[in-house]
Amino acid sequence: MNNQFIVAAYFIYLPVVLVLTWYVAYTLFKNGLVFMRDIFNGREEIAVATNSLFKIGFYLLNIGFALYILKINHVIDGTQDTIEALSYKIGGFSIYLGVMLFFNLYMFFRGKRAAKQRRLDMQMMQTQYGGNKPEQEG
Amino acid sequence: MSYNIPAYGIYLGIMIFIIVYVGRLFHKNGRVFILNLFKGDAAQTDNLNNILLLAYYLFNIGYAFVKLRFWTKVTDVEILVSSLAGNIGLLVLILAVTHYFNMALIHYLSKKESLTFTHK
Repeated sequence: MNNQFIVAAYFIYLPVVLVLTWYVAYTLFKNGLVFMRDIFNGREEIAVATNSLFKIGFYLLNIGFALYILKINHVIDGTQDTIEALSYKIGGFSIYLGVMLFFNLYMFFRGKRAAKQRRLDMQMMQTQYGGNKPEQEG
Repeated sequence: MSYNIPAYGIYLGIMIFIIVYVGRLFHKNGRVFILNLFKGDAAQTDNLNNILLLAYYLFNIGYAFVKLRFWTKVTDVEILVSSLAGNIGLLVLILAVTHYFNMALIHYLSKKESLTFTHK
């Protein structure tokens, strides 16, 4: 009966992965709000809404993926096999999480650059057309 | 001894909780963007928002129930945990993909709106 090792591995894997995802999302989106305020020119409501929508998306994607890859397909007998299988799974997941973290950070920086460009354009238009402020901002 | 019925119970409980909770979050946070698209028409925004929430519930809870038909035979705890995680994970992934698709859609729609607005 080598089933108990697999069950034990699942019950170690699940909390580790959930806490890891929570910690990464918490750190990323605590700082994300600063970026969002910058991107949306200090419009607080839309910045908070966008930040929490990205947060929900991040949680759904990563927890979904973590649960989806949970199944261990090969036979495990012994503590050594359990440790090896667990470290393979958790290590792989944490590499994936790192890639997602950098991807989100890249999107934040891209949005910030676009907002800066838009502000510059607006300034140029204002100086060209003599203080005639356009009613639609961004 | 078959664990199928407990598996269904746990699965439906977790899934309906996730779908309803996430749906309420979307409903609350998405309102600003629809308001933006409708240029501040609050009544129309709330109407559309409620209809979208209802459609979301119908699709996702419906799909959650459909998956019960194709469940593997659960004979022990290992298969119970792995089949639960596989099915819940797949559904949550589908939620994530549709969510990102919707955000991209709203982004492009609002960009198109603002372009026609400035070049009018």
